[in-house]
Amino acid sequence: MNKAIFLAVKDLRVLISDKGNIFWVFGFPVLFALFFGAIYSGIGKGPSGMEIAVVNEDNSEFSNAYISKLESDEALKIVDLSRDEAVEQVRKGKVAAAIILNKGFGDGFEALFNRDEPKLEIASDPSRKMESGYLQGLLAKAQFEALSEKFMDRQWMKNQINLWRNELENTTGLDAGQADLYLSFIDSFDTLLTDVNDENFGAGFDGDILNFAKLDVSREYEGPVTAFQITFPQAMLWGILGCTATFAISIVKERTNGTFDRLRIGPLGRAHILAGKGLACFITCILIMCILSIGAKTIFKMPISNLLLFIPAAFCTVLCFVGLMMFICTLGRTEQSAGGAGWAILMIMAMIGGGMVPLAFMPSWLRSFSHISPVKWSIFALEGAIWRNFSLIEMINPCLVLLAIGFTSFLLGVVMLRRQED
Amino acid sequence: MIKAENLKKYYGATVALDDVSFEVQKGETFGLLGPNGAGKTTTIKLLCGLLRPDAGTVTLDGKTDPGQIEVRLSLGVVPQSLALYEELSALENLRFFGKIYGLNGQKLKERVRDCLDIAGLAKRCKERVSKYSGGMKRRLNMVCSLLHDPPILLLDEPTVGVDPQSRNLIFETIEAMGKEGRTIIYTTHYMEEAQRLCDRVAIIDHGRILDMDSVENLITRHGGPSHIEAEFEEKLSDVNKIKPFVDNKDIQFEETKIIFQTSRPMESLAKLNSSGVRFRSLKVQTADLEDVFLNLTGRRLRD
Repeated sequence: MNKAIFLAVKDLRVLISDKGNIFWVFGFPVLFALFFGAIYSGIGKGPSGMEIAVVNEDNSEFSNAYISKLESDEALKIVDLSRDEAVEQVRKGKVAAAIILNKGFGDGFEALFNRDEPKLEIASDPSRKMESGYLQGLLAKAQFEALSEKFMDRQWMKNQINLWRNELENTTGLDAGQADLYLSFIDSFDTLLTDVNDENFGAGFDGDILNFAKLDVSREYEGPVTAFQITFPQAMLWGILGCTATFAISIVKERTNGTFDRLRIGPLGRAHILAGKGLACFITCILIMCILSIGAKTIFKMPISNLLLFIPAAFCTVLCFVGLMMFICTLGRTEQSAGGAGWAILMIMAMIGGGMVPLAFMPSWLRSFSHISPVKWSIFALEGAIWRNFSLIEMINPCLVLLAIGFTSFLLGVVMLRRQED
Repeated sequence: MIKAENLKKYYGATVALDDVSFEVQKGETFGLLGPNGAGKTTTIKLLCGLLRPDAGTVTLDGKTDPGQIEVRLSLGVVPQSLALYEELSALENLRFFGKIYGLNGQKLKERVRDCLDIAGLAKRCKERVSKYSGGMKRRLNMVCSLLHDPPILLLDEPTVGVDPQSRNLIFETIEAMGKEGRTIIYTTHYMEEAQRLCDRVAIIDHGRILDMDSVENLITRHGGPSHIEAEFEEKLSDVNKIKPFVDNKDIQFEETKIIFQTSRPMESLAKLNSSGVRFRSLKVQTADLEDVFLNLTGRRLRD
């Protein structure tokens, strides 16, 4: 075992002596995670408010209060624009809708309930009915809230009553008995507004117009909380792929420059030499896993939902690629041929296995096809521990597949290596 | 000490070794002289167990399996290729190979220091091997095989592509190893090296050993006569007086010079001297292993 450790230490020294190796094994995966993490940064964030344009052509006290109510609603994101700009933004799809507060919007009940000449217009794409309906509900809510504040204004209410009285007195065709009834109601209301003390007057209109109890139930979200939960498992795989190719090429290099033979002539079995290579590759891959997962957790606040399952997932992933490393080193007799063939195979594995495009974004046929790639099973296992909330039973499946691929590749590699040497 | 019996090795249809047999005694320096592709490296690989023979046996110190750990520990193999980690320093290379052979602590330190001294690399031992000259790499390549102080050394063309200074250092090291009583097998295609270093030489070509003996005996058997040109102070008055002192009837006479061939050059010159002639100059061209190879194969070593 000591000799395998000496071999592994030597290989690690050789690895770190080349800055290029360090970049591809450690630097590139970090850049990958950051770059794609930035691209997918919308993942996991809840829906932001609906962006609507507001055109305030009335510019009255009431319209300003109304806009303030809209702005205070978290479900909306208000942009103040002119009529033309607002309509243009809706046409281009940059805002969900535009609301236009026409002149006279703040002229009291007359304006608010005027059916012939609406003082509030909504400009929206007719195909987006759900958004439009949702917006109408929010506008009504804001309107009632603004009105409830006006109801608390004794003078404004008296003015409104005087307006109604004048309208009744000037109305022709209304039955005299009916008109007296309405006037009597208006007088009583006026008396109430005059005589009721402030405490009782306020209490009458205080509170929500539609009173209901809110029960907060957060919808269960099964996807990743942050994009880094997708990009860091991918980055770990890129680091491991780099490490696999580097060590596979290093075995070929040892064979071409004679150090492999020199070691075999020494008191070492072939098993010792391969164990040393495998150990060095294993240590480096584990190091990549540790650095990336600690960095992701501490710097990028990437949550790992089950650390206890992350350890076997990482372990099986690394073992699988150590086995593949042994197979790849037999694909060519020169560094160039083994490196070329090795990278070609690893790139295909990465492409179909979700190393480039996340599995979740793949079409279903490609997702089925990706079963043949160990990259897919590795990412699947790592994501299972990071955000897919795998149970132990669910984790066993990808781990067994990885171990089987690793063991078969290792065995195949050793047999082919022996055949090539003899 | 080392015995190869009827070794045969094929690479596909190509015969690399065809019934090769030889025996090397303890403390002997044995040379395998032949051109590229003659089968020298294959023989070394069979001796150290890197390859398995298709027929025949190898016996090293009484043991027939070169794969045994104790047999491997008794072998020091200097490969033809520069089997070094160029990304590491000479010191790191030596420490690593030393540890592989089970050396550690003070013993490892001492052996590494000794080997660096032998290779003349002590002052530059911390530099990366990739920065070394070809000669320095060759010297390091050799001493990496001496770390564990093996009694048997197999050197496969250890001077390929080195400068004269490094070559000389390598020769001196091998001669010193020979004097210490180590058993050495040395392969080369330079006849001067075999002639200088080896007690016995096997001439190998196309996987077959053509003959094997001491250098002197090989030359005597296959080298042909020596070529002598003698120039005298005075013009020869009667050439017939000279003829009895020269063992060759085909003698060429010029005014003050005679040219002839003989298989006993020193004896002939002594006789000629006793005839009373006064030499102005003497040119003796004796046969060498190149001539031996030429006479055995019809080709030159570097053809």
